[in-house]
Amino acid sequence: MASIRQFVRRFLERPGSIDLAPFERIVRAAGAEEDRLRKAAELPSPSMDDLAGFCAVAREAADRALGLRPYDVQLVGALVMLSGNVAEMATGEGKTLSGAVAAAGYALRGRRVHVVSVNDYLARRDAEWMGPLYEALGVSVGWIGEASTPEERRAAYDRDVTYGSVSEIGFDVLRDRLRVDAADLLLPEPDVVLVDEADSVLVDEARVPLVLAGAADAGGAVPETAALVRRLVKGYHYEIDDQARNVHLTSKGIDTVEEALGVELYHDTARLTEVNLALHAHALLTRDVDYIVRDGRVHLVNPSRGRVALLQRWPDGLQAAVEAKEALAPSETGEILDSITVQGLITRYPGRCGMTGTAVAVGDELREFYDLKVAVVPPNRPPVRADEPDRLFEFAADRDRALVDEIAEAHATGRPILVGTLDVAESERLALNLAGRGLECAVLNAKNDAEEASIIARAGERGAITVSTQMAGRGTDIRLGEGVGALGGLYVIGSGRHASSRLDDQLRGRAGRQGDPGGSVFLVSGEDDLITHYVADEYSSGVPSARLVAHAQRVAEGVNAQIHRNTWRYTRLLERQRDLVLERRDRVLRGRTAGEALAAAAPERWTGLTGALPPETGEEILHGAARQIVLFHLDRCWAEHLAYLAELREGIHLRVLGRASPIDEFHKDAVAAYRRLLAEVESRSVATFESAGITEDGLDLDGEGLKRPTATWTYLVQENPFGSEWERLTNRLATKIRRR
Amino acid sequence: MLTAFTRAFRTPDLRKKLLFTLGIIALFRLGSVLPTPGVHTENIALCLKEAQAGDANNIYGMVQLFSGGALLKLSVFALGIMPYITASIILQLLVVVIPRLEALKKEGQAGQSKITQYTRYLTIGLAILQSTAFIALARSGQLFPGCQQEILLDKDDVFGIITMVLVMTAGTGVIMWLGELVTDRGVGNGMSILIFAQVIAVFPAELLRIGQQKGAFVFAVVMAVGIAMIALVVMVEQAQRRIPVQYAKRMVGRRMYGGTSTYIPLKVNQAGIIPVIFASSLLYLPQLVTSLFSNTQEEPNAVIQWINQNLVTGDTPAYMITFFLLIVFFTYFYVSITFNPVEVADNMKKYGGFIPGIRPGRPTAEYLSYVLSRLTAPGSLYLGLISMVPIVALALVGASQNFPFGGTSILIMVGVGLDTVKQIESQLQQRNYEGFLK
Repeated sequence: MASIRQFVRRFLERPGSIDLAPFERIVRAAGAEEDRLRKAAELPSPSMDDLAGFCAVAREAADRALGLRPYDVQLVGALVMLSGNVAEMATGEGKTLSGAVAAAGYALRGRRVHVVSVNDYLARRDAEWMGPLYEALGVSVGWIGEASTPEERRAAYDRDVTYGSVSEIGFDVLRDRLRVDAADLLLPEPDVVLVDEADSVLVDEARVPLVLAGAADAGGAVPETAALVRRLVKGYHYEIDDQARNVHLTSKGIDTVEEALGVELYHDTARLTEVNLALHAHALLTRDVDYIVRDGRVHLVNPSRGRVALLQRWPDGLQAAVEAKEALAPSETGEILDSITVQGLITRYPGRCGMTGTAVAVGDELREFYDLKVAVVPPNRPPVRADEPDRLFEFAADRDRALVDEIAEAHATGRPILVGTLDVAESERLALNLAGRGLECAVLNAKNDAEEASIIARAGERGAITVSTQMAGRGTDIRLGEGVGALGGLYVIGSGRHASSRLDDQLRGRAGRQGDPGGSVFLVSGEDDLITHYVADEYSSGVPSARLVAHAQRVAEGVNAQIHRNTWRYTRLLERQRDLVLERRDRVLRGRTAGEALAAAAPERWTGLTGALPPETGEEILHGAARQIVLFHLDRCWAEHLAYLAELREGIHLRVLGRASPIDEFHKDAVAAYRRLLAEVESRSVATFESAGITEDGLDLDGEGLKRPTATWTYLVQENPFGSEWERLTNRLATKIRRR
Repeated sequence: MLTAFTRAFRTPDLRKKLLFTLGIIALFRLGSVLPTPGVHTENIALCLKEAQAGDANNIYGMVQLFSGGALLKLSVFALGIMPYITASIILQLLVVVIPRLEALKKEGQAGQSKITQYTRYLTIGLAILQSTAFIALARSGQLFPGCQQEILLDKDDVFGIITMVLVMTAGTGVIMWLGELVTDRGVGNGMSILIFAQVIAVFPAELLRIGQQKGAFVFAVVMAVGIAMIALVVMVEQAQRRIPVQYAKRMVGRRMYGGTSTYIPLKVNQAGIIPVIFASSLLYLPQLVTSLFSNTQEEPNAVIQWINQNLVTGDTPAYMITFFLLIVFFTYFYVSITFNPVEVADNMKKYGGFIPGIRPGRPTAEYLSYVLSRLTAPGSLYLGLISMVPIVALALVGASQNFPFGGTSILIMVGVGLDTVKQIESQLQQRNYEGFLK
């Protein structure tokens, strides 16, 4: 009976999630072996044919090695992942331990596991924390971080289980694709990937491809242009679209700029680009929201994590424009050498699974893009957190006052408070306001990430006030201080709803972990970006309704899902072309394909060179040189191909005006470009081979740019901003009717 | 085109998709000839023959065209795709009018799938209405005016009538599903493919009839003219003027390929087939009016008489000239509605695009409408002329309304055909890579 009731509940509340009953049976069976194992002096090596036995051994091993005895639900979670699904486990239920048991299980099956997390901090913490458990089970473990050297990385990838952030592993994959010596390759063949915080990695991060950029020449932004656009007035000289993704000059603005520069802008593309970039930097990118300035450099802030993205930079001159805006010395501009989407990265692995606190909301996307199903694992102890309904205000100023009042009131009782703000600037403003009321708080944001661990360690103590950006969201474990439970536990206050309800849930989830008491509330105003960006035309004034706020969030989620979908649709072909190029590249890298091809294309030159070189080593030198030549041009042409496709994609939506499907048109042009790419690689390689000086020391390929990862940048491609034909017809009729 | 198909058949997963689509079309045709229970099939066949032999035009021309002859056979799929198309149009209009639907639409994929769900419900509603109406017509003998045969087995059996309504409604539901299956797992847009199938379904029978009734020479001429027309339509449908557009948003370094990849393609026939459908629908009106008046048995006045003489059948000069002028008018009207130069210019401005040498905003809009009006002139003449062909043929060889190489049929055929082949080619190209270092 119970199972039927469970089935019905699952169907009603979590449609599409998978049945837990078989896993629960295995865990119950594991319980039977517990007593016997507890007495055993040495744990038997578990056999993966007997899952119940494995669970029992893993539980005992965790108890002995870590002092953590996994609850039944944690083992159920591990089994869900071992069968290739995503486990949704309530925040604070000990996912890390579940994940480690699952990863060890895969390793004991003889597979190689990569545990992908959202940031380096979590990767290292989890690998070191779970280390003893892996050791007890006879599984080797390693981790990589941003600062790891190539040797450390190689050692980490050699282990059975490797922890790393999605961007680190992604960049290693990208770097491996540009090696010119087979001995430098780092990554083994992909096997199993276990994704921690699966919704964040697989959905939020997936909107932006990982981009490997190389340094080209110094930035070309002119400080005068930055000064010029600073004089322009929003709404008069330039306008910003609803979702603050695009900015454009009005005709007044064009007049002003043309007068100041003394040129006709629309005849001078280079100047226009410069102005556009300066305007983008000025109007769309805000200091302490999108980036911070530290040590005379511009650092990007990752919007969904609230952390500084150290290696990220804006490409195509935008970085230089931002530097000019902040009057900093220009750094070199990046040129995109290669890119990979998170889908492309994750679907390389034949085995995939994951875990997160908030998976069901993105269940459709996980199925659509990764072929992953979600299982909802119940919490060990029912959550007792009190989530109050949102408090709604018309003006942001009212909300800010109420926020400080609420903090002061709760603080008077001694209850620890965590305030989640939406960006760095807001967190600092709030800290100032609190100081004005004589309240002391700790601020955790991208600027002081070094103190993260110590701030978090104190956040649960009596009387603590912590103001944070999204940094204190995922994975942060705030332990309650003594006597705090009796006061009601941690009180989480959100200074505004995020663009995704999952981020709200993650913030709430910092309170009430593992059955602790806790509370949460969000304060929302009608002036928040969420309202003004996404539902501007449905809201004019007054206190926004809760329904409107929820609708705005759904609009935001819909927009983001569409960006994700478009990213994927337009990069799928690109990644396929990349795979084919890489297949060829791999043959060149490991074999003699390049030399043979060049010998066939320029036989006279080949024989001539063979004669000029010492007979015993000559051929080897020639093959080495040929390899260098072809690899160089292959990588060079690929970067140019990428630039061409980016440009093609930018304007592809215009094709719909000729009643053609943009995606088909894109494919048609991209395939033609790919054919040209191969021809170009061949002719350039032959030309270099004909003219380059090849001596006993091999080939001297000078002037090659350094290849190092630097930037990622994204922009919105709306596939069809004009709407379908019928939409256009009806919209036009409707505007005519309304006008009358 | 043929090479694309043969190559597609050699690619395993594309072959699967093509066979799947063909299978769905076969099922769809089967349902279109399968009679609904309770229909007297022999009598219907007699009535159909009579209707075709007689020169009386029936008012169901367009519906009949879209249903591939299934409608008058009262088959399971008699209603065809029309209810779904009508429902989509109604919902698209409602989205503009009802704020709640507009809000849903903005929520992206999730909201859109809800709207699709409403479209399906509405389709079923419309199907119930239409099937009831047609069966009522069949009961009272008005489906084939002039045919004395009883086309229902038992027109007083209430249970039987309800069964027929249910069967036809269910048929519409199945068609909707088939269309979606083709879109998801086959090639091309499901709904277009099904319309395409219905339009060409009447070909063999009609050609055979021409061959039998008019002899081999007329048949050969009709075929030759038909093929020449298809070639012409294919050519004009692909003709476009490309207006270059630039997006000055990025500093770019070295370039491998010159030339612009970003442009606005303005087609010669920017309006597509809609003006023809509008014009012919409008020309049914006088016919409807006169048939209403003819029931009153009175002596018709001069206007009605003139209409009867000049606007009811297509072989009079007045009809031809009116038809032609209406098409030209509707082409301009439709292009002006669907391609709004101001909207396009605004949108380009918003995303940083511009036509080299022309300022964004008003100057761009003016330039676009200048080019567009130059293109629409030949486009409208072309549409008008193509649509005249069947009427002229009607006058010359006395073909029926279902004349296979009718303007509407050819425009639909070529339109859907080109789209589908393009899609297949696009999928093929993604799979075929060759070249250096292979």
